[in-house]
Amino acid sequence: MDAGVSFEDRMATVEFTIAPDAHIVVDGDSCRGCTTKACISACPAGLFVPTSDGGVLFNYEQCFECGTCYMVCNVAGAITWNYPLGGHGVSFHRS
Amino acid sequence: MEPAPVMVAVALKNISQDTRIDALTGEVERDEPSSALSRADQAALEWALRLAGIWSGGLAALTAGRRPSERVLRTALAAGASRALRVDLAPERPSEAVARALAAGIERLGAQVVICGDMSPDRGSGSVPAYLAAHLSAAQGLGLLDIKPDSSGRAKLQAWRRLDGGRRELLTLHPPCVLSVEGSSAVLRRSSLPAVLATSSGALPIEVMTPAEPTPGPAELMAVGAKTMPFRPRTHLIAPPDPSLDPLQRVIALTGATSDHAPAKTVVADPQVGADSLLDALRSWGELQE
Amino acid sequence: MSDIKGPPPLNESQRSLGYVVPNTRSLQSEHDGASCDVAVVGAGPAGSAAALVLARDGWSVCLLERGSYPGSKNMYGGVIYPRVLDGLLPNWREDMPVQRWVTRRATMVMTETQSLTLDYRTSAWGSPPYNGATSFRPELDRWLAGKAVEAGAVLVEATTATGLLRDPSSGAICGVRTDRPDGDLRARIVIACDGVNSFLAKEAGLYKNLDPSNYTLGIKEVLSLPSKTIEDRFGLSPGQGADFEILGCTGGIPGGGFLYTNLDSLAVGVVVRLPELAASARRPEELVTELKAHPGIAPLVRDGELIEYSAHLIPEGGLDMMPELVCDGLLVAGDAAAMCLAAGIWLEGVNFAIGSGAAAGEAASQALASGSSNARALAGYRDRLESNFVLADHRKLRRAPHLVLSKRMQLSYPQLMCNLMEGVFTVENPSPKPGLTKLVLREAKRSGVSLTELLSDAWTAFRTFG
Repeated sequence: MDAGVSFEDRMATVEFTIAPDAHIVVDGDSCRGCTTKACISACPAGLFVPTSDGGVLFNYEQCFECGTCYMVCNVAGAITWNYPLGGHGVSFHRS
Repeated sequence: MEPAPVMVAVALKNISQDTRIDALTGEVERDEPSSALSRADQAALEWALRLAGIWSGGLAALTAGRRPSERVLRTALAAGASRALRVDLAPERPSEAVARALAAGIERLGAQVVICGDMSPDRGSGSVPAYLAAHLSAAQGLGLLDIKPDSSGRAKLQAWRRLDGGRRELLTLHPPCVLSVEGSSAVLRRSSLPAVLATSSGALPIEVMTPAEPTPGPAELMAVGAKTMPFRPRTHLIAPPDPSLDPLQRVIALTGATSDHAPAKTVVADPQVGADSLLDALRSWGELQE
Repeated sequence: MSDIKGPPPLNESQRSLGYVVPNTRSLQSEHDGASCDVAVVGAGPAGSAAALVLARDGWSVCLLERGSYPGSKNMYGGVIYPRVLDGLLPNWREDMPVQRWVTRRATMVMTETQSLTLDYRTSAWGSPPYNGATSFRPELDRWLAGKAVEAGAVLVEATTATGLLRDPSSGAICGVRTDRPDGDLRARIVIACDGVNSFLAKEAGLYKNLDPSNYTLGIKEVLSLPSKTIEDRFGLSPGQGADFEILGCTGGIPGGGFLYTNLDSLAVGVVVRLPELAASARRPEELVTELKAHPGIAPLVRDGELIEYSAHLIPEGGLDMMPELVCDGLLVAGDAAAMCLAAGIWLEGVNFAIGSGAAAGEAASQALASGSSNARALAGYRDRLESNFVLADHRKLRRAPHLVLSKRMQLSYPQLMCNLMEGVFTVENPSPKPGLTKLVLREAKRSGVSLTELLSDAWTAFRTFG
């Protein structure tokens, strides 16, 4: 319904400097037992994707570093989240 | 035999992190307060640190620009450079003038191997290293992907550069030489916290030199009187394709993919003759404005 | 070549650099790692305000920023009220980066098809002393951090604080660990201004429990439009700006929307409470898309080209979610201490960050002068917050977040008010006009709000805002 702005175009407006290591770690075993998988819908950067075996695949490269994923996660410790290496990650310019 | 110490210099450019190009006017907007090293310059600094670590002749960082450019020298000092030099130069000078200023600085430092970043995102074309090599009468290895110092510890390098069609060129270089490296060739090490703190504020031993105002070089002479325009590819008049064709055929016709064109020609000649034949070809294609 | 990787030790020239900071007490960086009087973590408005105060008092201050520049990780949703700077930087009007001065403040309630706007305009806010401004946080935060640096603070960018250092005998906090090689920074006091996720405050045990319902997610689009178009659409003079706060636009998820003007761009977005966002399984950016398509908003944002999409968490729980603000060697300020005020018609954060950061800086300075940095010596921080606007406003508006995010306020009242207006202004001749009381009762019933609830909410609102 948004004339012309795909999610990829949306993310393409944001600058990211990709860190060598992931700052998000997801415990796959916890996710397979999770019925809500709220991270998938709530992450504003759409970093979490369900897999066919009931798990969750995640990306860290285009993370806003907001913290939504671990705050909505209903299994304690399933998402371990920290800040990326200094000087890396998202950089806003017009926000 | 103990190898002779070789001093390495890294030439760095202070660029804005927040560079935007207006799509309509070609105007470059820069955000001065947050300026830093391009990826290619970061790689150059890393290579310089690695080579200086082997050759024990010290590492000097230099830049050409006004006082704010010293920011990149602070970064280099934090990373491990032992000397820093700023050659005072007005901003927005052509590549040849920048190279001339840097060459004066390198002669003062006495460095034998100079490393630069290849291209920078602020429309830097990577031409400064070539001019620099010319000014220093040094060998050049430009657009390098990888560098291997000689295992014997002698000041000799093997370097790889990218050619068209996925090919690589392997160069063997001896000092004096000027190298430029691609941004992907190395990741700059993180400076230690004490080193960053020591270089974050206060006075630093940054040398400043003001080169004598020289006579304009050839590139500048060419630019005299010429209006500076944002770079744009030259336009070509292309006849509209036959409207009776279907859209795919019209697109193919527009690309010229299937039409006849002059076959590729390899020129083997002395540099001067080779350059002349390149210029002739560009002229015949209408790419050069006289 | 592996032997030459890794950080080089300080070389001769670095060692000889010494330290020439304008302060009397200098940072130590030559032996046994780095140290300073105060380590401020995070160069946002809170951290820079704290660093500014401390550097002016002559203490050596290290201001750590994990982004490659201050503000690079920050976004906000509306208006900055910079008069909090009057005491700290009396000349802020000269060079603070401002997009537009807000002279039009509208509060909008909407349903899917209707909207009702309370629209206040005053040209007074467009000239000194001013009121609210729109700004780009990367520019604003960089400016404020620059003021701290001018005062003598040392800004260290691209450096993430990864944990706290504790004195092995007393257990008091005595510095931070950073992600740089040789990265321990010892400090007599640490001020954590590390934002809404404050890993430092959590590590120190200052947050007793983390309730996701105290947090909202803000999602924003910045849309490019010529400044003339913006001025025409919003009825503004050059330099003047508009700010719309919107209720009832979040698809039933508790929250709100916003639309405000920059110089040549608009910012539009929504703020939604986390548990309900998660339960709804809605995509956050879809909520913004829906808001942009609303008939009351679409004409204002039409043809705006997206130039930046962003998202951030907001601590909206107010006083009830605030952590302990002080422990031995540590102070917490800004979003890290949940100082953001989200009370319906008031949505403020940057001014509370600056206010709390400055108070933390003053308290730390006082403690350092007294020679102690334990919790007792730092207790002046809370006193300062109580006596200035920061905690006074939070205490006064303690009930507001719950009230504003309640189901009736989110869904029933926007419906009720819009329908009421529709009833009042729809001319149904030949039927005569209905009486206002009758309309109120009819619409209250249609919206499923009982008279008792209406009166109870009115009473709560009176007690909250009155």
